[in-house]
Amino acid sequence: MSFLIAQSLINGVILGTLYLLMAIGFTLAFGVMRIVNFAHGEFYMIGAFCALIGVTWLGLPYPVTLALTIVFAILMGAVVERLVFRPFRNDELSGMIASLGLAMILQHGALILFGPDPQAFPAMATGVFKWGALIVPKSRALALGIGIVILLIFYLFLMHTRHGRALRALVQDQEVAAVFGVRLEIMYPLGLGLGIALAAVAGGLMAPLFGVSPFIGATPLLKAFIVVILGGLGSIPGAALAAILLGLIESFTSSFVSASAADIVTFALVIGVLLVRPAGLLGRAEA
Amino acid sequence: MKRTTILAAASALAMVATGAVAQETLKIGALVTMSGAGASWGNGMKRAAELAAEDVNEAGGLEVGDTTYQVEIIAYDDSYKANEAVTAANRLVFEDEVKYIIGTVGSAPILAIQPITEENGVITMTLGFTAQALGADKQYTFRPNPTTAEVAQPQIDWIVRTQGVETVGALFPKDETGEAIAEDLSGAYEQAGATLVATEFFERDRVDFIPLLTRIIAQGVDAIELDGNSPVTAGQIVQQARDLGFEGVIIRTGGPATQEIVNVAGEAATEGMFVHSAFDPGVASAKAYEERYVETYDEPMNGFSPFFYDGTKMLFQAMQDAGTVEDTEAVATAYENISDYEGILGTMNWTGSERYGIAHQLDSPFYIARVTGGEEEIVARCTSTGCE
Repeated sequence: MSFLIAQSLINGVILGTLYLLMAIGFTLAFGVMRIVNFAHGEFYMIGAFCALIGVTWLGLPYPVTLALTIVFAILMGAVVERLVFRPFRNDELSGMIASLGLAMILQHGALILFGPDPQAFPAMATGVFKWGALIVPKSRALALGIGIVILLIFYLFLMHTRHGRALRALVQDQEVAAVFGVRLEIMYPLGLGLGIALAAVAGGLMAPLFGVSPFIGATPLLKAFIVVILGGLGSIPGAALAAILLGLIESFTSSFVSASAADIVTFALVIGVLLVRPAGLLGRAEA
Repeated sequence: MKRTTILAAASALAMVATGAVAQETLKIGALVTMSGAGASWGNGMKRAAELAAEDVNEAGGLEVGDTTYQVEIIAYDDSYKANEAVTAANRLVFEDEVKYIIGTVGSAPILAIQPITEENGVITMTLGFTAQALGADKQYTFRPNPTTAEVAQPQIDWIVRTQGVETVGALFPKDETGEAIAEDLSGAYEQAGATLVATEFFERDRVDFIPLLTRIIAQGVDAIELDGNSPVTAGQIVQQARDLGFEGVIIRTGGPATQEIVNVAGEAATEGMFVHSAFDPGVASAKAYEERYVETYDEPMNGFSPFFYDGTKMLFQAMQDAGTVEDTEAVATAYENISDYEGILGTMNWTGSERYGIAHQLDSPFYIARVTGGEEEIVARCTSTGCE
């Protein structure tokens, strides 16, 4: 039994870190742009296809592919901000609907380009790490390790660079930030680009574990949504707490009760949090 | 003079043209899964029908009574979903007015379209594994492929006996197909002297099986059974079970899908896996079909495809025997009456009156194969009475 608890703990932390990558990008885009980006899951999918193209078609090393994916995603975010979201800057509802449209365009674009069938992705690592009876698949440890490194870099960027501070200022109060000289024309595309890049790199990390197809974006989007609602829209520490919590809940309920019970518990928790703390665990109530 | 020559040429052309028009078209529907997880089965079925049609068309058409028909296959995708299958079935039956449908792939879809097809006397040829697909009240539904109910017992007996398996864990999709297979397998393992100790049900679009597999492996099972899962899902289960360090036997009792599983999970993870195989490359006609399939479509052949090729060819013979393509009741009776049909897979006969109340289940030889270096290697030959 203690084996099962420890193993579930490990599985849950791995799962939680992956959800965190998705959720932070999602909440950053919301915090900066005030847009609920329904296309976030499709950027996960695009990231997975980028990794597939890089590794299997072009034969590039995996880390290089991931780095290229991030660069590509930031550029794509800037373009999307300019073409799709800029006209809806102060109009949350229209922006949300535009993002739904964008999601459909991206998914069906991928369907036309790559076809509906799941594509196999070669394993990036095989074998397991063993501590007594405890087991961590190397493939997941690799995804976890790279994920943590990326999150750390992102954290340092946000806390200790000029652009990072500007982004945080924007999340706190847009008007005051603008008055103090934060350049919105640069920060909006950068904020969305970084958010999208985190989704894309999550897709690239998950591709060797779960395969690649045009339809893989829906589940991570839903998880990001749950994490962000639990943690509080716009709150990055809230997202971190909620992502690990969600990973652990899913892992423990799936391992001890059943897969369907995991969904029930998760959504019951979301409803409970919304009833007791409508702004989320660490979210600020809207003024 | 010149004018008469032109005139003669024109009338000759006109005669050729009328000759072509006199040949009628026989439309056959292919209502199969062409996208998503079950697409490799669906494509295998559709292409089987296309190749069978190509055979008769190249031989000048299908002669039934006094008419010669060119066979045309009209394909729709149901995405393995019952509601989409119903839409496609309505389209095939009422707009395209087909009398014959190859499909569906899934169990839920065939049960969903039967009210339409049985009511309108449309002959269907399904892959669906549920026992409810066939029945005394469903005289137009046939199944050319053996299902878990036919193949499970002899294979499981053999594996339990030779591999010393005592406890088994399995994951099934949470729907009609999964439930039916879970029940069949549980009984079959029980009878063979082993127990299905851990079963998990999951939503079909799930991709992360680590938590479920952790629970199954923690119960110390000797083997994991993959039957009932689509090829891609089965591949993910194999890969993740091996990722978790599972070293026991992996078995796939039904549903040929080895190629796809190897593609997803990789050669290393699938090494030593025992799979059901309907296909012996040692049989020359079967080998020739596979080669033709690969040459035509440039993709590996799914193991179900030959059954539907034989099934479609038998259907053509039934139409000829009945002397009609319009009266499907007569065709269904002629179809039932075909016996000892020499197909590409071997000698085929109808069976199933005891199990389903109607003999609409095709009986054929099958095999157990061991996966070595990503390829199937036959280790036992089976009939419904046992494996050697």
